Amino acid sequence: MIEISNISKSYSKGEIKAVDNLSLKVNRGEIFGFLGPNGAGKTTTIKMIVGLLNPDQGSITVNGLDIRHQMLQAKKCMGYAPDNPDVYEKLTGIEYLNFIADVYDVPLKERRERMEYFLDMFGLTDAAPDLIKSYSHGMKQKIVLTGALIHNPELWILDEPMVGLDPKSAFQLKELMRKHCDNGNTVFFSTHIMEVAEKLCDRIGIINKGKLVAIGTLDELKKKEHAESLENIFLELTE
Amino acid sequence: MSIFWKMIKVSLRVNFGISVLKYRFTREKKKLWEPILIGISALLGLGFFTAMSTLIMIVLYKGASQPQVGSPELVLTFAFLAGQLVIFFFGIFYIISSFYFSKDMNILVPLPLKPYHILGSKFVVVMVNEYLTLIPFLIPAIIIYGCGTSQGIVYWLKALLLFITSPAIPLIIAALFDVVIMRFINLRKSRDLLAIIGGLFGLFLALGINFLAQSIPKNAGMNTLTSFAADKAHIIESIGKNFPPSIWATFSLSKNGFAGIGYLLLFIGVAIVLFLLLLKLADLVFFKAVLAGQESIKKKKAMSREKREALYSQSSSTVRAIFKREWKLLFRTPVFAMNCLAGMLVGPIFAVMPMLAKNSNMKFLTDIISNKANAMPASLAALGLMLFSASMNMVSSTSVSREGNMFWISKLIPVSAEEQIKGKLIHSILITLIGVIVTGVVLILMFHLSFIRVLVIMILGIIGTVPMSIYGLLIDLSHPKLVWTNPQEAVKSNLNGILGMAASLLIIGILAVVSILIVTSHFQDWFCYLAIGVIMVVISIPGYYGLINTAKRKYFTIEV
Repeated sequence: MIEISNISKSYSKGEIKAVDNLSLKVNRGEIFGFLGPNGAGKTTTIKMIVGLLNPDQGSITVNGLDIRHQMLQAKKCMGYAPDNPDVYEKLTGIEYLNFIADVYDVPLKERRERMEYFLDMFGLTDAAPDLIKSYSHGMKQKIVLTGALIHNPELWILDEPMVGLDPKSAFQLKELMRKHCDNGNTVFFSTHIMEVAEKLCDRIGIINKGKLVAIGTLDELKKKEHAESLENIFLELTE
Repeated sequence: MSIFWKMIKVSLRVNFGISVLKYRFTREKKKLWEPILIGISALLGLGFFTAMSTLIMIVLYKGASQPQVGSPELVLTFAFLAGQLVIFFFGIFYIISSFYFSKDMNILVPLPLKPYHILGSKFVVVMVNEYLTLIPFLIPAIIIYGCGTSQGIVYWLKALLLFITSPAIPLIIAALFDVVIMRFINLRKSRDLLAIIGGLFGLFLALGINFLAQSIPKNAGMNTLTSFAADKAHIIESIGKNFPPSIWATFSLSKNGFAGIGYLLLFIGVAIVLFLLLLKLADLVFFKAVLAGQESIKKKKAMSREKREALYSQSSSTVRAIFKREWKLLFRTPVFAMNCLAGMLVGPIFAVMPMLAKNSNMKFLTDIISNKANAMPASLAALGLMLFSASMNMVSSTSVSREGNMFWISKLIPVSAEEQIKGKLIHSILITLIGVIVTGVVLILMFHLSFIRVLVIMILGIIGTVPMSIYGLLIDLSHPKLVWTNPQEAVKSNLNGILGMAASLLIIGILAVVSILIVTSHFQDWFCYLAIGVIMVVISIPGYYGLINTAKRKYFTIEV
């Protein structure tokens, strides 16, 4: 579903190499967890997949579509929620979702069903007609997540999606991620919570200083690194 | 160094971007031109106001020096009074925004600081900012009186001290008012309303000054002007008596010896006492008001399913969706709406002012325009005024910048750069049309042009908004200012806004030159109108293609 080949990205005229010759493949139907310490290059990689940043070198394909040359088609099959929910504060929740549904060309009947479903699930139904400005951080996170999923994309790309969510919403999102993949779709997400990655992910990739230092199922990683838990593997590989 | 001084130092650093400037000077030299250009623009703007004020002060000084008045120091009273009143009224809004609405309160309140540390340091920042406001009022008056009455060194030293302390009293009074009000009324929810009131106040102030300027007799010699000023002198004196600090400041400069120094000490002493009172009050009530504003009290009835369903809607196209987003975000952000729209409305109001002031020039002008032989040049002049008014907006030239850190959404959505920019362009054109239509209506009422001519210039005015919007948008898209924390920075301190206006004025200039050439060549009227319309279209075409190509490139290369 995602194929990343030798991508690199530098900041400050090449002084800081955020992602260094990274390659990885995410298969259709799997939940892929992307782990790494702060500043390892997780968000930079994610932003390059969704087209917010341009790689200095290398290529990325999503669903067989080159994100550089077939950007619009590639974007249509992705839903992305950033780690920081910066959204139009002067729109109401409903207006924001209508706008996103408009640009993803979601028919009225479907958008109504999905909005009802997600707003109810996240407990936002009553707040939806209010300006986003009045929302808490968690509510903004939920409205961004709803916007990312409103067009029912095959691939979800979520940057630390659990941050700011209450336990009930986090639980429901995890259930939703599992269900999405069981239906043959794909989820790529970054997290700092080891337990979530351990329980939820089919495969895990660990990035450190811009390089992919490990990739595989939890069992494969444990075997390879001779460790008992993901936490130990993480600490060892990112020292 | 005490915490209070450290707080003041940090607040000044943050407010004036001293650390950013340092970084630009030492590391990011490529972007150094930005603050330099902004600085030059600010100086030019300040210079303009100071020059205007100097003219008024000279007239007033001469008027007040007339034998029947005999009080040249009234120029000082007027300057201190006007400057301090302006600072007081603007201060009310500025201080509420700085003390209660600024984002850094969330960082400052949990720190082990006393309320007066925070409030005091914020007050100093506001006060330093107000020196710029005071320059056009005080500096000309001080210089004119000082030179006019041949004052010595003591006068200039006293003047320097008075200038430094002048914003204190009106600002402290405004702050005391705000601190008390905010303790009892939570204005947090009315923040947008306050921004509008503040903006309108600025607008009315500008209109008031214009009205005052219009009421001064034109084409009159200095003698008429000074006797006019002499007539008004008693008004200044009586208002001044109701705001004694302006009288103390005047006496401290106009009286020599101990009397002058005594008034100076009185002026500074009252400022210090009031400041201490403010700090004391801050310790008692400041945090209570800040924290009360942060509590969210939201309990409301659940919305019925029918009502909710009515909110789900679908736009007929993506361009329309982008247009709707732009429309809502502009009108719901008061800072954007005020800065983008006010200029367009000020133009026609300024045009009407001379009529209200019953200026004799106006009659002369309407006589010329009413003459049928002059209908063609008059209609072109009206078109020029309409376009000029339309050019006084920053809708297109800040269109991309206004997105700020929300630009990631535009990068992410599966809508081509071409469609996104079309949505923005249609939005800019429609808003700019407001300027054309409002001015058009005013001019129709003022100059009795024939219906056909009105229709033609209205159509030309509408076509004229197209190139202005295209080039404004192109300027902003080429170098959008996407990094800002306060929406004001996206419009007020965005160079693209000024460059966009300059581009529009250039277009008007080209059209004006062409119009003059055509009119003086005695072509038929319909040909003149057609030629102007064709030129507008011709100017637009390369701009439009340039805009679309730039959009394709920039929407790809801008990284967020």
